[in-house]
Amino acid sequence: MSTPKATDLGGRALDFVMGIVEAPINGFERLMGRKRMPYLFLAPNLILFGIFTFLPIAIAVGYAFTGGTGLFVSDRPFVGFDNFRQLLQCEDYLRPGSCRESLFWTAVWNTLWFVGFNVAATLLVALVTALILNRAIAARGFFRAMFFYPVLLSPVVIGLIWKWFLDRNGLLNAFLQMLGVPPEIFLLDVGWSRFFVVVVSVWFHMGFYTLILLAGLQAIPKDLYEAAAIDAASPRRTLFRITLPLLGPNLLVVLILLMIRSVQIFDEAWVLTNGGGPGTANSFIVQYIYQMAFGSDLRLFGLASAASVLMGLVLLALTLIQLRLGRKMES
Amino acid sequence: MGNLKLTNVTKAFGALTVLHGIDLTIDDGKFVVFVGPSGCGKSTLLRIIAGLEDISAGGIEIGGRDVVQLSPAERKIAMVFQSYALYPHMSVRKNLAFGLENLKFKRGEIDTRIAEAARMLAIEPYLERKPRQLSGGQRQRVAIGRAIVRNPDIFLFDEPLSNLDAALRVQTRAEITRLHRQLKTTMIYVTHDQVEAMTMADEIVVLNGGRIEQVGTPLELFDNPRNLFVAGFLGSPRMNMLKGKVMAVGEAGVTIDVGYGAPLAASIDPAAAKPGQAVLVGIRPAHFAVGDEGLPFVVQYHESLGTETYVYGTLEGRDEQIIVHQTGHFAPRSGDLLRIMPLSGRVHVFDPDNGLALPQTVSQRSDAYEHA
Repeated sequence: MSTPKATDLGGRALDFVMGIVEAPINGFERLMGRKRMPYLFLAPNLILFGIFTFLPIAIAVGYAFTGGTGLFVSDRPFVGFDNFRQLLQCEDYLRPGSCRESLFWTAVWNTLWFVGFNVAATLLVALVTALILNRAIAARGFFRAMFFYPVLLSPVVIGLIWKWFLDRNGLLNAFLQMLGVPPEIFLLDVGWSRFFVVVVSVWFHMGFYTLILLAGLQAIPKDLYEAAAIDAASPRRTLFRITLPLLGPNLLVVLILLMIRSVQIFDEAWVLTNGGGPGTANSFIVQYIYQMAFGSDLRLFGLASAASVLMGLVLLALTLIQLRLGRKMES
Repeated sequence: MGNLKLTNVTKAFGALTVLHGIDLTIDDGKFVVFVGPSGCGKSTLLRIIAGLEDISAGGIEIGGRDVVQLSPAERKIAMVFQSYALYPHMSVRKNLAFGLENLKFKRGEIDTRIAEAARMLAIEPYLERKPRQLSGGQRQRVAIGRAIVRNPDIFLFDEPLSNLDAALRVQTRAEITRLHRQLKTTMIYVTHDQVEAMTMADEIVVLNGGRIEQVGTPLELFDNPRNLFVAGFLGSPRMNMLKGKVMAVGEAGVTIDVGYGAPLAASIDPAAAKPGQAVLVGIRPAHFAVGDEGLPFVVQYHESLGTETYVYGTLEGRDEQIIVHQTGHFAPRSGDLLRIMPLSGRVHVFDPDNGLALPQTVSQRSDAYEHA
């Protein structure tokens, strides 16, 4: 393997790096044969993935069948399906209070409501934003950047910023007072706090989904719109008969990613609502898992792991549906 | 009525003017081809007629109606795109129906029109298929079908054959011509392919640099190009150009010295030339006779196509390449010296300063000679 003689700086840097890796790579190739070389290149990523993803999954599944408060497997008694029984034992699933693990079912229902509203709101806002940003408007690049910037922030920072904004003495109340509206303690009201958890989530994540939808919109050939214009299609019909059907694959990706990430809601909501408040109004599944395992010295790793496994199964189901639908769309 | 009138149509993108005051009238039922090199403005002009581009100045009338302020849909035109622009998620039937549904046609009328267009274009077997399940030629026919069902006053074609292979192109060319005869609707067709222009057009509009160079029937343009651009653009291989000087001006025409002691006679209006004037003499490859006298032509190589032969070479002692066309088999060797003589009445003369053709005493006509 030889590299062409380069005169520019980048080329020389490349030559230098290639000079270093050439000998060991040639050695590996002689040792393993050319056909097995791809696995060598995949190995670093696979090892990292194994240690930080597959191994924890295996540990969590294992822990889900153990009890006690010990940290190490050797200290934990095997309890079979006890943890799952504890989570799933319920007189009426619609009334969390009737369940043995009422906090878990409160979190499940809170999460389901959140997923419903958050998915619908984010999808709609991202779609409308993408449709607007896809038009030839002034300062388009600036707006694209503006909508994407929140994605770059840490969830904790997002939670704190919005908390300042919504606090009793926050910006929003100051603004309302200026208009003569009496101040509201938004984060201590069940309705308002749930509303703002969705608002914050939409604001935080919409830039990412807008980007995916914008890429899809830009991939639709311009001449289809010209053909539609000649075909006398109204803007409404062009949207519903041309744009949205052709955006279908992107909408599906966004929908599934959005659902998976909504089910995983935790950090920004935890910071914003001071740990799921008021009461348990904003207590979600991941928060339940966190609290059982690490909150206030409960150390119920088995129960937390079982809840994780149940949530993992739901996410797996969602992913499989995505793959199935994606394939169906392609064919 | 599908007649079209363009008055001083000007189009600028920012500081760049791409169309400079186009004036053009197209009669109802004509097949008109816009031809010219890349970037000459022919596609822009078509898109302006379609209403897909605004004009910077000027007027457009279709069927006597001012359409400048009208949307594409209101102009009663239909367009076939270079990329076909079929809706990929709709079946062929839905592609054809979409425009009619938008115009609120009754279901029965839509079905009748689709059936008729499908039969005309032989796409009945594919009506339920999606565009990606069709070959390039079939897609092309669907795109034409989508235009036909609209029953427009004017059909617009934007380089519709450029994505087809050579054999299919010839076939589809004939189909579009047949369709024009059948429908008798005005068709405007944009191409950069002069063979398409020559074979399909009732009238050709040659565009260059955003201006119309010449308008006329294919043979008018071939026989009497108005300037050097049209002379060079139409005809393949291109017209040979020789530098010369007017020797004498007589009543029947002029004689031109191109060197070698073999003066050429050209039927030029005597009032338009004066002795001593420098000119460019244009002679098409097919308009040379190879014989015992004439200009000394040194052969470099030749291309035999079976029924015809192109011989490439130079005039003795000069550098400009000259191409001579001969029918049948003809196989001169490299370095052979031939004598070539322009056919009488087939000599074009241009003013090298402004590129314009000097006016002829009689228009050259294709039927005035038999060999070529």
